Amino acid sequence: MARWGLRGTALLYLGLLIVLPTVVVVARGFGNGLTAFRDALTTPGAREAIILTVALAAVTAIINVVFGTELAYVLVRYRFPGRRLLSTIVDIPFAIPTLVTGVMLRALYGPISPVGAFLDRHGIQVIFAQAGILLALLFVTLPLVVRTVQPVLLELDETEEEAARVLGASRWMTFRRVVFPKLRPGIVAGGLLAFARALGEFGAVVIVSGNIIGKTLTAPVLITQLINGGKPEEAAAVATLLFGLSFVLVLVTERLLNTGRKETS
Amino acid sequence: MPSGRLGARALGLVAAAALVASACATNNANGGTGGSPGTCTPQESPVITLAAYSNVYDVYGKLISNFQTEWKDGHDGQQVIFQTSFGGSTTQAQNVVNGFPADIVGLSLAPDVQMIQDAGLISHDWTQVTEGGIVATSVVVFDVRPGNPKHIENWDDLTQPGLEILTPDPAQSGGARWNIVAAYGASMRGNVPGYAANDSAAAEKLLEGIFKNVTVMDKSANDSIKNFESGNGDVAITYEYAVLAAQKAGLPDEAVIPPSTVSIQTPVAVVDEYAQEHCVVDIANAFVEYLHTKDAKDLFSSVGYERSVTLKQAKAGDGGTYPAVEDLFTTDDLGGWDQLQSDTVFGPDGAFTKAQQTVTG
Repeated sequence: MARWGLRGTALLYLGLLIVLPTVVVVARGFGNGLTAFRDALTTPGAREAIILTVALAAVTAIINVVFGTELAYVLVRYRFPGRRLLSTIVDIPFAIPTLVTGVMLRALYGPISPVGAFLDRHGIQVIFAQAGILLALLFVTLPLVVRTVQPVLLELDETEEEAARVLGASRWMTFRRVVFPKLRPGIVAGGLLAFARALGEFGAVVIVSGNIIGKTLTAPVLITQLINGGKPEEAAAVATLLFGLSFVLVLVTERLLNTGRKETS
Repeated sequence: MPSGRLGARALGLVAAAALVASACATNNANGGTGGSPGTCTPQESPVITLAAYSNVYDVYGKLISNFQTEWKDGHDGQQVIFQTSFGGSTTQAQNVVNGFPADIVGLSLAPDVQMIQDAGLISHDWTQVTEGGIVATSVVVFDVRPGNPKHIENWDDLTQPGLEILTPDPAQSGGARWNIVAAYGASMRGNVPGYAANDSAAAEKLLEGIFKNVTVMDKSANDSIKNFESGNGDVAITYEYAVLAAQKAGLPDEAVIPPSTVSIQTPVAVVDEYAQEHCVVDIANAFVEYLHTKDAKDLFSSVGYERSVTLKQAKAGDGGTYPAVEDLFTTDDLGGWDQLQSDTVFGPDGAFTKAQQTVTG
């Protein structure tokens, strides 16, 4: 009885909080049939926005997987002054509202800031260009990778690495042959989380992108514009597609994390 | 100690990342910078960047493609490429001030263009061009439930106790400021029963009465009307074209035109600074001129900006879908936007500022 009560409450909570809104938006996206769904995706700029969003999310994930893993490794395996501070800095993007991130980036790299003007003179445009969006996405998703890889790393037995070192392997060789294979599920999971998060990022992006249709207009920003423009069906269609991509990724991540845990335990 | 190879790897990746970033950046710069002002040579396929407020999204798509065809025919097949960006009027103006290189701006109210001019980016008098730089107009109306069950006919009806009003937030929305100016002007012109003409204290009292009943302040005029359509509130203060658009979509919205209301005038201007930098001044001017042609006006009409840019004609309406307005005034009749913004309505001691203070207590 009590067990069912507990289970029931948990299921009800999950259902009301997550499943119901999801079902509504997907139903809305497909509300007028498959053809309407496809038509919605031919809204000017919709296709470009989705491609841009997926491409930038992928680049974001790749870059942050590299630097995030490196950071996690440094944080776990090295002892140096300022390590705690570094660890705190990694969490800053979690703590800062993403809109503020956008404002910060614009203040630093915007065309009328000293740095932005300097870059502009050298033909590099950051804000109101794709580079700015990438920067915002990198900023927002870095802690996701670090904090996914770190616990896996902490669980690893350091003696194995020591053994490899004693047997004459270089630090890099040790990392590649001993640490990396065990870390792989964590790295992939971190990367996918970053990717999924980057797909949906709105706040930081909208401030720095300038929203040029077909160029710097991302899918989440397009969704807001469609809603504001009184086109909820089109908005729901784009949202459903974006949600579908994210959802598949989350499923894959779950799988990887589970197999990862089984392997390490 | 990290091995040298790991360090080298990291360095390589930094370089790769920088490459990706700069590749994106150059990709973007291609369309933009095209020589210095004065000595510029236009590109083979010039690129015009247009930043506009969100409501005109649909109509600009058509306007642009018509203009492109027209320009192509008259200029040996030259293809003009348009980059468009849409968003809240004030947000767009802020972006331009912050370096968004728009050659043309289409905004929902004059002060937003003024903001860009004040930043030194517009060097000509944009109000001294065709039709004062105004391309589309509408009027502030009440969007009510079918049959107007709350009998809302004039501004004072909005102060009845218990009424629920939707209007956007004036801090974020240009549309909201039009609504407030409409109520203020109607009161000042002595067209609201019980509120004396030319009495700013009376106007303040009217605004206070209205805003006491405002239950939801959405971030944009569009959000506000969507909210109303989903069943919230008794009345939404909004643009006439928004109600007409809702009716076209089969919704039961009804527009009540108050006896005295403001003519919403939305300006378009060429941003000289950027247009010169991109060497597209001629094309930008031609596009703005095109927006004043009959072809463009018909397109604006088709999406609900039916009212003529000429005040007299706008006031008379067409006797059908767009009824006459008893007393249609402009912001100039109230001393101009400058005065409304910094003094009489939105200034520190302005009628709305004080009314809002009283309401929020």
